Amino acid sequence: MALDIKKFISRFVEEAREHIKRLGEGLDAMNRDSVDSENINAIFRSAHTIKGSSRMLKLSAITETAHKLEDVLGALRDGSLNYRPELGTLLYRGVDAIAGMVECLAKSGDGAALPPVDEALCASLAQAATGEVSAVVIPPPSIDLASDGRQLTAEPTSPPLATPAPPAATSAPPAQAKLSTSDTVRVRLAKLDELIKLMGEVVSSHATLRQRLLDLRLLESDASPQHWEQHRARLHHFGQTLRDDVQNQELLMDELHDKALIMRMLPLAMVFDSAGRVVRDLAHSVGKEVECAVSGAEIELDRQMIDKLSDPIVHLLRNAIDHGLETSAVRLAAGKSSQGHVTLSARQDGGWVVIEVADDGGGVPVEVIREKAVRKGFISAEQAAGLSDQAVVDLIFRPGFSTSAIITDISGRGVGMDVVKQNIVDDLQGEVTVETRLGVGTTFALRLPLSLAVMRVLLVEVNGLPFGFTAQYVDELIRVPHEEMLTVVERNAVIIRNEFVPVVLLADLLHAPKRLVKTTRSQAGTFDHGMLLVVVRVRNEKLALAVDDLLDERDMVIKPLPEHMRRLTMVSGMVITGRNELVSVLHAPALLELARQMRGQASRTEAASHANAGGAAYRILVVDDSFNTREIEKDVLEAWGYHVTLAEDGMDGLQQARAGTFDAVLTDVEMPTMDGFTLTSMLRQEEKYRDTPIVIITSREKEEDKRRGIEVGADAYIVKGDFDQSSLVDTLRSLLG
Amino acid sequence: MNKQEMTLDQVLSQRREAKREIVNVDEPTAKLVIFELQGDWFAFQGEKIREILSQVDVFFVPGCPTSLEGVINVRGDIESVISLHELLQLPESVDMSSSSYLLGSGAGMSSTIRVDKVVDVVDVLLSNIHKPPTTLPEHLRAIVSGILQFKEKTVTALDLDRIFADYSHGLG
Repeated sequence: MALDIKKFISRFVEEAREHIKRLGEGLDAMNRDSVDSENINAIFRSAHTIKGSSRMLKLSAITETAHKLEDVLGALRDGSLNYRPELGTLLYRGVDAIAGMVECLAKSGDGAALPPVDEALCASLAQAATGEVSAVVIPPPSIDLASDGRQLTAEPTSPPLATPAPPAATSAPPAQAKLSTSDTVRVRLAKLDELIKLMGEVVSSHATLRQRLLDLRLLESDASPQHWEQHRARLHHFGQTLRDDVQNQELLMDELHDKALIMRMLPLAMVFDSAGRVVRDLAHSVGKEVECAVSGAEIELDRQMIDKLSDPIVHLLRNAIDHGLETSAVRLAAGKSSQGHVTLSARQDGGWVVIEVADDGGGVPVEVIREKAVRKGFISAEQAAGLSDQAVVDLIFRPGFSTSAIITDISGRGVGMDVVKQNIVDDLQGEVTVETRLGVGTTFALRLPLSLAVMRVLLVEVNGLPFGFTAQYVDELIRVPHEEMLTVVERNAVIIRNEFVPVVLLADLLHAPKRLVKTTRSQAGTFDHGMLLVVVRVRNEKLALAVDDLLDERDMVIKPLPEHMRRLTMVSGMVITGRNELVSVLHAPALLELARQMRGQASRTEAASHANAGGAAYRILVVDDSFNTREIEKDVLEAWGYHVTLAEDGMDGLQQARAGTFDAVLTDVEMPTMDGFTLTSMLRQEEKYRDTPIVIITSREKEEDKRRGIEVGADAYIVKGDFDQSSLVDTLRSLLG
Repeated sequence: MNKQEMTLDQVLSQRREAKREIVNVDEPTAKLVIFELQGDWFAFQGEKIREILSQVDVFFVPGCPTSLEGVINVRGDIESVISLHELLQLPESVDMSSSSYLLGSGAGMSSTIRVDKVVDVVDVLLSNIHKPPTTLPEHLRAIVSGILQFKEKTVTALDLDRIFADYSHGLG
């Protein structure tokens, strides 16, 4: 029988990965402190094992590299060679080359597909073993700053200039220091035993249920009208026993489920462990001094997430080193230490894990990004002026914003940030935030659910069809009387605690068909008690979705959609209900985006209808701390032809007002840093705003508030509860003449 | 029957029988799943179809293109339901209660395809499957792999790999 070499290759890959990891750790240890013989012994053994087992499978390129590596380690072990940092770098290259070949093998499963051995590297290693490390030519890893930012890692095995590159080398995958994870998972035997024991329990519990079925048949056959009382007692008893059985079964299932899920959990170390080396390689390639600190690697995450985390994390690390950290000279001039610091940390926060990549570099240059965004045509100059700093920084997540041209020009951040965001938000149901301070540094925070498999899900009903929301996006559930609904730019909105929140019928958004057979659970009449709204929130943006009914809320297993359907952005997965129905779990960020598009269309239609409204040319400053309120007021005003600039609190408003010229100011009252009353009175002290119309829009209805508004110099006071767009526009018109 | 009790003639005739059977089997055949859509008969290669399901509940998924009718639950796995009506330019079926679902895989994806009914699963001699005529309408040319006669009706054999490949490229 022919030998099934494939089976052996996959075993070899598994084993080699372990040894490569050990080699990496050993070299890290050598690099950090003194060289101890035990450590050298351990890594020597690893290199030796790789050599031996690869030779058995005739993987000569791996054998050759491992052999040369072993020689150097052997020389270190017997003391004929002393450890030096340059030697460490060379050893890392050797390990990386082996790792690259092993990954190539893992992909192809065929030893013949391996790239040829890197002769130059082997020669360097051989030379090093004799003690002549100084002569070694180590080509710097090439960092590709291509616009897609897809290439994450250094390419350390390209041959030195003296040797012409063999043609095969171009097609062979580079030896990547990629943070990779394996396809298999090791489970402690004890855990597996527990699972098997539980499975046994489930089987016996099933046997009990079978017995109950027999009991029931017996009851049936014994039933006679004469002994009705006795029969009823037996039936009651049967019911009780069955209930106990079901409860037992439930406990068992829960436990079984928990135990099975734990097996999917892997420590973040799978991704974090190699970060140190990636940082070192990248820092070396751009000629910066960087120290990397890692913490929280012990936190366990669903393996599905671990797999998808390595790319975004490498992206962020790259970014921190490439663009976040300044060169030593710049750092020293700014009074910082010459060595930059990158921190990769993870911490648990309730049912979430927060992973942060922080640097102590120059921070994101907000003004440069603002200017670039306008020049690139992403936003208009007016829009740019109205954006808050945070909103400007968020522009780096826009697809296409982070092209290499921009990056090199502005030395700012943004290599493939859209890819990072997509990975985290779309694939992992998480959030990405960025905090930056000029001259102090930047922190990217990835917020992720602990497990993708089980999540808290809220089930609602629309047109007789169930839909789910993952709890992380649900802000609140409210019922609003119809009369409290406002119409703004042909669209509904409600005021929730001093904030305008747009309202959309979920059925319209989803184009949900009407289920022909009315389900029993859906009761007509819910509409009479007002609209039931699910308020979803993504960062600071809210959207109220009108639904017919609430069905359930509990932890549910989320199943992935078939591969080819994953491009449907609106659905992040499916859950199965107790009635065995498949329910789409809606992806709130996509719903917000869709609602925004619908709003855009509505605004344009409305603007067209008011084309001759005469609002044109007037510049209005809108000050409100709620994102939604700002956006809605902006929509209304732009629909009527006004030019709108936004400010997110009183202080921001004052600065914007001083920096520009506005024909009218609309402001909220309650805002952080400076309230609307103060803003109004401050503006009145400015020469150019002495007579400019100022309109206060607030949910404060009290007479004394209105009086105070007038006292500080406001021209009009609109209560949000009475708000409708025509009153705002009419007020403005009458004030502006 | 005990071997010793066989006469020489019997043994010889058995061998001839066996030989004749081998000759019959030697001619290459293809397994086809023949199904009906709006009165027309079509077929997929048998090895591409993993399972035939009937009486399943199809669940709506928002944002799907019209050819994607929703999803079904196949023993815990979620599979999509594709309708070929649009592709083949056939009118939509009105009554879906008697539909069958062919669970197929090809071109790296897996999905069910809703058909009005399954006619038969048969082994057909390859020599009986003819090349599609050049007069085939434009929209069918790429996806038809052959034409055959079965029970006095024309059956159009469709290329599932091609359909799925087009499908996964076209979506999104």
